[in-house]
Amino acid sequence: MTDAAMKNAPAGSAAAAANWSPIPLLEGIKEQGRVWGDLAGQYGVENPDPPWKTSLEGMCDVLAEGQCALPPLERRWEEDEMSESIYKDVPFPERQLLALAHSLIKRGLVSEGDLANRIKQVHERLTAA
Amino acid sequence: MSHDRTHHAHIATGKGDPQCFKGTAGPAKFKAGDKVRIKNMPDIFYTRTMMYTRGAVGEVAVATHESPVPEDEAWGHVDKSEWFYIVRFRQQDLWPEYPVAFPNDTLQTEFSERWLEAV
Amino acid sequence: MSNDHDHDHAHGHRPPAPMVEEISDFEALEIAVRELSIEKGLFTAEDHRRFTEFAEHIGPTPAARMVAKAWLDPEYKKLCLTDAIKASFAVGVDWLNPTGFGTPSDYTDLRVLEDTPTRHHVVVCTLCSCYPRPILGFQPEWYRTPNYRRRLVRWPRQVLAEFGLSLPAEVEVRVEDSNQKCRFIVMPVRPAGTDGWTEDQLTEIVTRDCLIGVALPKPGKTSNIKLPVHHAVNPAHPH
Repeated sequence: MTDAAMKNAPAGSAAAAANWSPIPLLEGIKEQGRVWGDLAGQYGVENPDPPWKTSLEGMCDVLAEGQCALPPLERRWEEDEMSESIYKDVPFPERQLLALAHSLIKRGLVSEGDLANRIKQVHERLTAA
Repeated sequence: MSHDRTHHAHIATGKGDPQCFKGTAGPAKFKAGDKVRIKNMPDIFYTRTMMYTRGAVGEVAVATHESPVPEDEAWGHVDKSEWFYIVRFRQQDLWPEYPVAFPNDTLQTEFSERWLEAV
Repeated sequence: MSNDHDHDHAHGHRPPAPMVEEISDFEALEIAVRELSIEKGLFTAEDHRRFTEFAEHIGPTPAARMVAKAWLDPEYKKLCLTDAIKASFAVGVDWLNPTGFGTPSDYTDLRVLEDTPTRHHVVVCTLCSCYPRPILGFQPEWYRTPNYRRRLVRWPRQVLAEFGLSLPAEVEVRVEDSNQKCRFIVMPVRPAGTDGWTEDQLTEIVTRDCLIGVALPKPGKTSNIKLPVHHAVNPAHPH
């Protein structure tokens, strides 16, 4: 974590932003993934939020409880820094999701490889249904 | 940096947090109306006392609750508690460039007792 | 349900509500992160489900109703100002949910900031966007941004003006930086033109923006500000 994050200032310095090297798997999703604004527009769905948003928020909360695998303040500061650098142009809440995945990978809590495989399986599972 | 909050369920269920720490900090050092200065203590690692308040003088608005301080809580040390206070500042005193056209504007935020010294 | 069925037989089938018919990469990512996290023991499916259900049930109406009730009942208003957690029960909110001791980011110390004709409150969390979710729902995107968080404490009137709110110079603008365990909602002054209104009518004009402090309630104004949306990253593919 950067000095700025440790000193409680919200991220913004060039130094803070420079800490975030892109993760290829997540870059691919960022580049190719269709955001909710586009999907809802295309299909005429009025809900302003994607259906997975509440599950994402559930994850952020549950990771801050119990064994506290990802403390919320750290997660939010990292999200701030990523929101001003590598995920700058990603809408919300896609940005929050990418930042969460990034923080988990960076901490070694999940691996990029495992995540890539699981994403493939999920796509197969859901499109076969 | 992570800590285990599973203990937390035992002490806080049915009471809430910060209610579960009520009575654990001893008498409050400050009360509403006291003039205080925010100390500029070195941050070893983690703090919720914002840089923009360091060294500023304000007035205690209210004593809110007792709780372990975030500096300790982040490491899972929750056996010590302090009183917390909302302290109110004149914006004119916080920011050198704050427009003089708005002399009544204020800002208030919360501190644990260790960050405050009597003025 | 049977009423709908009869209705359909009588008048023909209503078209089903539109649904997104593809699995986006983001949706798959969320599922994958969740499944792997559970397999690695970072959390249990049950705990996650509990917090997800909490997320699905929260919204701004309880806080709006709290203010409306307080406007109509001076005793309830006093309770809101002295014990807002207790006052929350009257609008159906138990801050101990969903764990029995609250959530790890909302805690259980709600405070209501009472506006007066000479004092207007506005809330921010410069550190990370803490927010009284159990009674107010989720933060709007703008509240989470470093842009709002950095600027509101320092140039509050400029930021409020960007929301369309301009206050006379002699009115005290009081910024609340919610940096510890307390959570805050603003109780605005009851606006003119609402004499004889019911609690429901009053609730409708206490919008989320009013409860944060970036707007004032007004008869006829029942929606929040719509700020510019990010450009679409990948526009719809032609079919």
